[in-house]
Amino acid sequence: MSAREQILARVRAASGHASPAPAAFVPSARRSDFTAFAQLLVAAGGEAHGPFSAGELAARVADLCRAWSGGVRVLATDAAFARLGDGPWQPVSTEADPHTLADVSVAILCGAFGVAENGAIGLDGREAKPRALPVLCERLILLLDTSTIFPDMHAALAGLPDGALAQHHFTFVAGPSKTADIEGVLVLGAHGPRELAVFGVGL
Amino acid sequence: MLERLGCTVSFDPRQTCCGQPFVTTGARAEAVRLARAHASVFAGAAAVVCPSASCVATVRRRYADLLGADQAEALAARTFELGEFIVLRLGTSDVGAVFPHRVALLESCHGLRELGLGRPSEQLGSVVDEVGITERLLRGVTGLELRSVSRRDECCGFGGAFSVGFPELSARIGRDKLRALAESGASFVTGTDASCLLHLDALRAREGFGPRAIHLAEILASRGGA
Amino acid sequence: MSAALDRRALELLPAGPRLVSHDAAVFALREKRDAAGRSEPDFERLRDYAREAKAHALDHLDGNLERFEARATAAGAVVHWAEDAPALNRIVHELLDARGARSVVKSKSMLTEECGLNPYLESRGIEVVDTDLGERIVQLGHEPPSHIIMPAIHRTREDIGALFARELDVPAGETDPARLTEAARRHLRGHFLGADAAITGVNFAVAESGTIVVVTNEGNADLGMSLPPLHIACLGIEKVIPRVADLAVFLRLLARSATGQPISVYTSLVTGPRPGAELHVVLVDNGRTRLLADEQHRRALGCIRCGACLNTCPVYRRAGGYAYGYAIPGPIGAVLAPALGGTDERRGLPLASTLCGSCSAVCPVKIDLHEQLIAWRATDVPRGRRERVLARIAAAVFERPALYRIAGRAARWVWPAVSRRWPGNPASPWLAARALPAHPGASFRERWRACVRGADR
Repeated sequence: MSAREQILARVRAASGHASPAPAAFVPSARRSDFTAFAQLLVAAGGEAHGPFSAGELAARVADLCRAWSGGVRVLATDAAFARLGDGPWQPVSTEADPHTLADVSVAILCGAFGVAENGAIGLDGREAKPRALPVLCERLILLLDTSTIFPDMHAALAGLPDGALAQHHFTFVAGPSKTADIEGVLVLGAHGPRELAVFGVGL
Repeated sequence: MLERLGCTVSFDPRQTCCGQPFVTTGARAEAVRLARAHASVFAGAAAVVCPSASCVATVRRRYADLLGADQAEALAARTFELGEFIVLRLGTSDVGAVFPHRVALLESCHGLRELGLGRPSEQLGSVVDEVGITERLLRGVTGLELRSVSRRDECCGFGGAFSVGFPELSARIGRDKLRALAESGASFVTGTDASCLLHLDALRAREGFGPRAIHLAEILASRGGA
Repeated sequence: MSAALDRRALELLPAGPRLVSHDAAVFALREKRDAAGRSEPDFERLRDYAREAKAHALDHLDGNLERFEARATAAGAVVHWAEDAPALNRIVHELLDARGARSVVKSKSMLTEECGLNPYLESRGIEVVDTDLGERIVQLGHEPPSHIIMPAIHRTREDIGALFARELDVPAGETDPARLTEAARRHLRGHFLGADAAITGVNFAVAESGTIVVVTNEGNADLGMSLPPLHIACLGIEKVIPRVADLAVFLRLLARSATGQPISVYTSLVTGPRPGAELHVVLVDNGRTRLLADEQHRRALGCIRCGACLNTCPVYRRAGGYAYGYAIPGPIGAVLAPALGGTDERRGLPLASTLCGSCSAVCPVKIDLHEQLIAWRATDVPRGRRERVLARIAAAVFERPALYRIAGRAARWVWPAVSRRWPGNPASPWLAARALPAHPGASFRERWRACVRGADR
């Protein structure tokens, strides 16, 4: 018998109990507006900007890119480009070897949705390409439609975009990367981005 | 004190030990025998009252495994820690006691987490901040000033066999507890378990600081002075 | 009785400032958990759901495993099965060797710690770089992690500064956590970019979609999953849950219980490989089916490795992780050790507890940890001959009221002698730190008899 058969046989022999599936969890009601979301994002060390109208957005994002890196080595995904138009950012080739992105100062991506409960943003792998872009960059900007904020994780996981789990990855990002491994002291910018700014879109 | 409150109190000299040390050291066969003996001694009692929360917890929480659910259930329903008997069965939290001193409460683990004599600090959520049974009784004592203790429900480190098998760790935990109790400014530390109190007193004798241990029953029976 | 842990605690976490700061640092995590739970109205209900969901998941583990395998495979992952630690290590090594992979970046996986994967690979010439900052710190220091969430919590900033001065070219005397982290960031970036493969753990595996879920705060797992062409994910079979919907409950509980955050920074739901890359998933038993077959103890497989039980445990905080001598320390380690630990000494770990019950009270999936410890004491914890004989004698005395009274009288008679310290006094370990209680005078029943006689009308 293969290891698979052995293990499954042992599991089968040990299972067969009758504990029922729990009834669906009903979360408490909570807000799902941008302000509520922003509060949790900021608590996690992120920055919240806006919300801005579609027209104002590009200029505000450009301001931050200049402040962060003088507008140098800023990459935006196709979807982000579509929203912003031209500015101090370059398109990124989805086929690019991720290792060439090691020097990216700022990456701009579109978030699929936000989660008010914890300030997280869902990044769909079909948009966040190459996968390394939002983790390798020094600083990260995410664009978020204020109408696509879920109140909590239950709603978010029930509301994943079609096909989100039929492709490589869907990642929740809640703030800049961080660690507290040295004496429990919080440090932002462990391996991933040092800073995360979310721009709310929609007025 | 119980007689003052209207109870007829008897003490059956056939009793010896509920078996807790055998349960906690894994001597299951022996624990079963002692549980049977204990159950038979108290078979006819309307209420079994015990000034030791850990022993009551053994009867209420461990006997089902030792004696089977039915037998254990019947006995458990009649077995009470002293304070909970007074508050829940006799319906009062003022026994007319007088104890004009600063007192810190040692919330022993078994009483707290297994018998529900107070609210464990781990328990969160929207629970009404109810005052626990033991605390209620102490607040009913004339002149008693209850002092708050940091990490109020952290273990005292005794753990029965633990203090014998792991003396260094037991002492570390106990010393920290003693320090917290001392910092509360209390002159006395009280609680529902003599074992915990004795452990703290034993440490105090070595360390030279800390409030004096006095059992809850002694406070409740007190009519003034110490 | 396992006094080995007691001795190791004394040696490895000596009394003094280190002990004080270890206890404080770990307890701070408990306080953060409390604060997070208090500000989340659903917290207690989530725990109830989580316990039921895990019980249900384990009851149907066979079906869940098969479904997970089928969906993950359909998505392009290759699923392997490992019966034990040696099998896991072999499978991982073969995957790396076949592709000529010489350098690996690894994100946190308690399972691989349990199985000793790092030393196995290193002895075969493969460089394994732990990328979680805490893990890298202990790796550079040639020691194992001492806590499952904060691997280097036993280290001061001075320790780490000195280590980094030696290993990472940081100026001597640097102790600022931000600057030390910055140095680690630069150093590890090179490893991410140059790695041939990434090994990660898995927090949850969802059967209905064939998805593995990898959670970090640092983003190190995501960097590993984004750069090298090969990703090997290792998980214990108990991590498989049936539905995506259940994930919401566990994710809402995990970070809150571990560090007090409402969610970790990176929660990656990975289904199949990155385009152009490979994903291999290794399902590991290593004693878990043994636990599953045990009615009393199978609940322990519900553990989501949050570390809350460690943080609240008065023993763990004052002993430190190393004293346990097992990859997983603390209450959950003591509960798993008799089934998964493999040695007699580890089977004794359930004794290293006062049974205060705080662990059970904080567990997000409501595992009755302290009851499990009591149960293990009656079955698998080794009991020496002397101990068994003593128990039999004591029980024989306790069963006979007359003997019990005589024994009590005898004890009171020798009390003063036992209370004093003299060479060879069996009470010496106790007496080192405490006095024995004062001589009780008379026994309760002696006083009772006197009372009753006195009250006789």
